[in-house]
Amino acid sequence: MTAVADDAAPRRTRPATGTRAISAGILAVILIAWEIAGQAQYVNPFFFSWPSAILQASWKLIANGALAQNLVVTAYAYLVGVFAAIIVGSALGLAMGWWKTFGDIIDPYVVFFSAMPRIALFPILLMVFGISDLSRIIIVFIGVVFPIIFNAYIGAKQTPRLLIDAARVFGYGTNQLFMNVVFPAALPYLIAGVRTGVTLGMIMVVVAEFFGGSSGLGQNIAQSAQLYKTPELYAWLLFTSLLAVVLVKGADRFERWAMRWA
Amino acid sequence: MSQSPSSRRLVVKDLYKTFTTSNGVLPVIDNISFEVSPGEVVTIVGASGSGKTTLLRMIAGLETPDRGSLTLNGHAIIEPGPERAMIFQHFGLMPWLSVLQNVVFGLKTLSISPAEKLERAHEAIGRVGLKGFEDFHPKHLSGGMQQRVGIARALAVRPSVLLCDEPFAAVDAMTRLLMQTDLLGIVTEQHATALLVTHDIEEALYLGDRVLVFSSRPARLIEEIPVRIPKPRKPEIRTSSEFQALRAKVWRLLQEHTK
Repeated sequence: MTAVADDAAPRRTRPATGTRAISAGILAVILIAWEIAGQAQYVNPFFFSWPSAILQASWKLIANGALAQNLVVTAYAYLVGVFAAIIVGSALGLAMGWWKTFGDIIDPYVVFFSAMPRIALFPILLMVFGISDLSRIIIVFIGVVFPIIFNAYIGAKQTPRLLIDAARVFGYGTNQLFMNVVFPAALPYLIAGVRTGVTLGMIMVVVAEFFGGSSGLGQNIAQSAQLYKTPELYAWLLFTSLLAVVLVKGADRFERWAMRWA
Repeated sequence: MSQSPSSRRLVVKDLYKTFTTSNGVLPVIDNISFEVSPGEVVTIVGASGSGKTTLLRMIAGLETPDRGSLTLNGHAIIEPGPERAMIFQHFGLMPWLSVLQNVVFGLKTLSISPAEKLERAHEAIGRVGLKGFEDFHPKHLSGGMQQRVGIARALAVRPSVLLCDEPFAAVDAMTRLLMQTDLLGIVTEQHATALLVTHDIEEALYLGDRVLVFSSRPARLIEEIPVRIPKPRKPEIRTSSEFQALRAKVWRLLQEHTK
């Protein structure tokens, strides 16, 4: 008997230290060039500012508590919307994949709403719910829920016949079959949907905040731009981007943890 | 072969099965009857696509016959049950479960304590030679080892009859020879009752106490051939003149009845 037969190659190889250094080098060159060009006014500082001014503005926003205050507002709408979308989307998608008739009935609607540019719904949602946490939550929810439904649906539908047969032979009833076979078989698809949702949710919440309100990361980006507070504008952009990176990396980690058997 | 009351047997009687396709009704199983006694290993050999697997699936309770009856230990077979366990050609392991969890998976619906489930799983894993691989996931095992997990999962249930659907068709030739001998050893040692479907004539003769030769679609039972080579059997018996004569006979029957 051979030992481990086809041992899988490590799924993710870290980039070599050299490549990392090159990445950092390029960034440094860009930042220095920007700094010089900004301070010497080779570029219009009204539009572009420069790194040290942006850093200063960032620090001020951190120190005076503005970042924390606005982060809470954005995070609230984001988390509630994304979480609700994951729960509702997973449940609906899995149900569609599991009960074929139900799936066939709902499928055209999912296709329609997935294809629709959902940002187009924002004016109606704002009309109905006003500028409020609720409207922002609903916007995030609508933005995120469809890819999750779609993935859960495909995931449940593609459960290999063989695995279902195997479970049935060993006496699994409908509920046990769903919990022990269909759900875990759909999990890779579901998680891919959640990953998409995490990124999409960030876009949705920022765009929702553009439309109005008095706080939140997106609202501060919009306000800074209107008032030509360029360093602050870039500072808010930086915070938003860093938050998005943290969320995507977190989702990556979660995916690798949940999929460690694959 | 020991005689036993028919209540302890697997009885297949006047079985018919058709599939409805876009091209009309396709007969798959045509009037098949046979019995399997406790402790007996019966092998079914026939061309690929001859309906052998369908027969096994009906006995497992995954499909229902159009006509005829299936009884095990005096009870009609209408759905899957723990007195029948199946070994699948393509293993049917849950890729997200470890070796141990996959074996326990087969015991899920039995009303025994979790401790006993674990104990049985470990015992079965040991029996198929996978001790030390309990925490491996199927992906990290060779095809042969995956099928050993499939065998352990079925053995752990302690079924009245072990249903084997082309169990070694998906593993390489070398491993196949080793595993045939191993399965024969396990089945003989456990006095297990098994019904094994294959398209490999040598496998059918090597493992079976009796070989049922099936015609190609629709499957009919052409002939029943007792294999009077005593057990335990060693791989060398395959070269004996007795074995070769049986092989030639089965081959001739299959050629005559395969379209």
